[in-house]
Amino acid sequence: MPVITIVRDAKTSKTIPIYSPADDEITVFELAYRNRLPVLIKGPTGCGKTRFVEYMAVRLGLEMHTVSCHDDLSASDLVGRHLVDATGTYWMDGPLTRAVRHGGICYLDEVVEARKDTTVVLHSLSDNRRILPIDRTGEILEAPPEFMLVVSYNPGYQHLLKGLKPSTRQRFVSLAFGFPDATREIEIVVMEASVDYAIAKHLVRLANALRSTADHDLEEAPGTRLIVDAAKLIAAGCDPQVACRAAIIECLSDDPEITRALMVVVKAIFGS
Amino acid sequence: MEEQVGIAWHQILNRLTMRRYPDAAVELSSISSQVGMLFRALGGDHGVVIHAGEQILNHSRRNILERLSGNARKVDLAWVDSQALRLPLAIDAFPTQSLNSDLYLWLAALSAIPMPQMHTWFTRNQAATLVVIRRFPGLAANYRRLVGAEILRRGQISKLAPDEARQEQAIRDALREPGSILELPKARKPPHPVLLWLRPEFKAIGNSGPNIPDRPPSTASTSQSDKKRRMAEYTEMPERKGGLLLFRPESIFSWAEYAKIEHEAKENEDEDLAQAADDLDMISITRDHNNIAKKINMTLDLPRADTAQFPLENGKILPEWDFKTHTLKPNQCRVNLVPMTDDEPCVLPIHLKRDQQRLRRQFSALQPMRLRLKAQPDGNDIDIDSYIRHIGHHHGGADTRFYLDQRKRERDLSCLLLADFSLSTEAWVGDEQRVIDVIRDSLFLFSETLSMTQDNFALYGFNSKQRSDVRFHTLKAFNEPYSDAVRGRINSISPAYYTRMGAAIRHTTDILCGQKTRERLLLLLTDGKPNDSDHYEGRYGIEDTRKAIIAARQQGLRPFCVTVDQEANEYLPHIFGKHGFIIIQRPTELPTKLPLLYSLITR
Repeated sequence: MPVITIVRDAKTSKTIPIYSPADDEITVFELAYRNRLPVLIKGPTGCGKTRFVEYMAVRLGLEMHTVSCHDDLSASDLVGRHLVDATGTYWMDGPLTRAVRHGGICYLDEVVEARKDTTVVLHSLSDNRRILPIDRTGEILEAPPEFMLVVSYNPGYQHLLKGLKPSTRQRFVSLAFGFPDATREIEIVVMEASVDYAIAKHLVRLANALRSTADHDLEEAPGTRLIVDAAKLIAAGCDPQVACRAAIIECLSDDPEITRALMVVVKAIFGS
Repeated sequence: MEEQVGIAWHQILNRLTMRRYPDAAVELSSISSQVGMLFRALGGDHGVVIHAGEQILNHSRRNILERLSGNARKVDLAWVDSQALRLPLAIDAFPTQSLNSDLYLWLAALSAIPMPQMHTWFTRNQAATLVVIRRFPGLAANYRRLVGAEILRRGQISKLAPDEARQEQAIRDALREPGSILELPKARKPPHPVLLWLRPEFKAIGNSGPNIPDRPPSTASTSQSDKKRRMAEYTEMPERKGGLLLFRPESIFSWAEYAKIEHEAKENEDEDLAQAADDLDMISITRDHNNIAKKINMTLDLPRADTAQFPLENGKILPEWDFKTHTLKPNQCRVNLVPMTDDEPCVLPIHLKRDQQRLRRQFSALQPMRLRLKAQPDGNDIDIDSYIRHIGHHHGGADTRFYLDQRKRERDLSCLLLADFSLSTEAWVGDEQRVIDVIRDSLFLFSETLSMTQDNFALYGFNSKQRSDVRFHTLKAFNEPYSDAVRGRINSISPAYYTRMGAAIRHTTDILCGQKTRERLLLLLTDGKPNDSDHYEGRYGIEDTRKAIIAARQQGLRPFCVTVDQEANEYLPHIFGKHGFIIIQRPTELPTKLPLLYSLITR
């Protein structure tokens, strides 16, 4: 059994999430923060984008405001709006405004999903002005040095009509995330799911085999998250093939023919 | 009577000699998706398509009964090259279905392992086997079962001559303990084929194809096609000017003698042609200038031509991707813009009127207009109903969405439709229409619909005659209104030449990049694989098209392919990605389906 050390931050006594760096992304992120530059993280689903931002937030001692973007997310969902109660209307800050007022990381997950007009409010915040004008209240908020804007998206999605405008993209320092290499991914799986090294090795081999069919047979390659989920099921006593089917294969495709074919790959690795 | 005795004799011999189990047969078509997935998952190349390989001659010793019955004259062995993974059309060598389908999966796994060239057939297969069973423990168990069955199938060693027995023993040892035997003992006859291994080295014979200008296809009666592949070579047409046949043509037992002989008409010619093709060890092809009475459609494995490629000048010159050298070769194709002819302007053909009306009704919803949204969290007006409801339920909850909002539904989008005008579109679909007619109707209805939704669109067509002449037809440019003149141009389209898809896509990409809209859609309408009359075919064409599509994506365009080729699943996922294309099952439905499809992908 691997030893898992739970690290706690001395100041906030928060648990520091486990994060194993692939490259120099930690340095780049820290430098971007010190130079007040916004960061864009792109990478396939389940490769550790959110985990990385959580880790960096704790590491830099910042509060994290996460917004998961969806296709009905409007600018006022980010900035804030007037609400009504018995006494009349009052202004309620949105997560972005809150982060600008009090400092911290505002993390917009899957930013391309948001409505087209939404990303425009980020423009004045993500260049050297670092301001957030709020039309409704007439305020112009200036972002403090502890404010950082981080957005992420998945370029692999084959949404025909969704992309990030070049004028938005070019305001960010961009980090491209990929899947970890096999040795690192095995370590991650062992660490996250407390599973045997041999099982982790098989799972990672399966993941890489499935990844090499992505684009051709699959819409999206399986992420580390799926592998960790399967490993957790196996660690809890589930049969490896059953765990792989439930946690990996069925998550990748709804087409019975494709899932059958994917199970052939599972059987090739885990035995029939 | 004579015939009945013959049939009975044949059946008896077959029963005695067949080492096959037709009841347990597994067909490639039933398992090809699993085979393909395993091949790619284990590291096989994505561009390699999977199809049935041709049978090869079995030179090993056959027993007297087998020789009498003609059984085992040809064997099915798997092999892979840069173009395709070739597997047997069906496997019935083992008594159970599970063994036969395991053999397919095993062959796919074995082919996925890249092996250095230095090995011989014997050691290469053993080395690849070792890699597979080490990496994939699940397949190792299957392999052991297959080895047991294969050794059982190979019969008794004691019946063989001493040298052949030694050879056979070595093969069995190599199967049981892969990697243990380094050299195959020599024998007078080659060993009995090993079904678990990829076939021995094979070299393409013959020179590359003769470069003869094309001529219009001759009219022949019904053509025939099947999925088998056959080995072929190019040869010169034997020149025969008269001469005397010293024997009667009926006495020629072999089809393989390449002579220009008129065969007499026989009953049921269709079967004859396919059967004759099967009986040939190697099909020799060349060009002749006479019309033919009968056609058979088949896939041949021809040696590839390696032509010298001089760079082109003048006109719009585009690069081309060479997958063998992994380079984008500059100055390879010339795009020639076909001038817009003054075709007679026309109105929409009568037979499309009803569909046009229906599509107009369906698409009126997509017209740009202002939408009034009730119960919004924000807005420029108050939704009184919602506010009253809120006051009424004041203590019940805090739903504060009482604004009216107006949102303008705008479609900031340009779409370029690129249609394939190659000669293959002259094929008939159904009794009344050719593919080109379907494409013409599709262009009409597509334009009618898009002019209704006020989306910005353009229509182009292409065909090609080798790399120096990729013809690009403008039917409607982006800034041009959809008028009777455009309809006239659509009306006059006709098929010709080939499909150099990569160059056409690169040129289209340049045009579409000039559009300033947020979304730019490149819609490709085709009926088959990219190909041209030079080296642009098979994997070369597919890889070049793929590169062109990747480049288009990098420019921010959204390519999407609509095809009527029912076998497009073999190659389109590689070019356009799993969700980047659609196969229209019934081509005649394309005209009405295309606008609906467009609305789906632009929603």
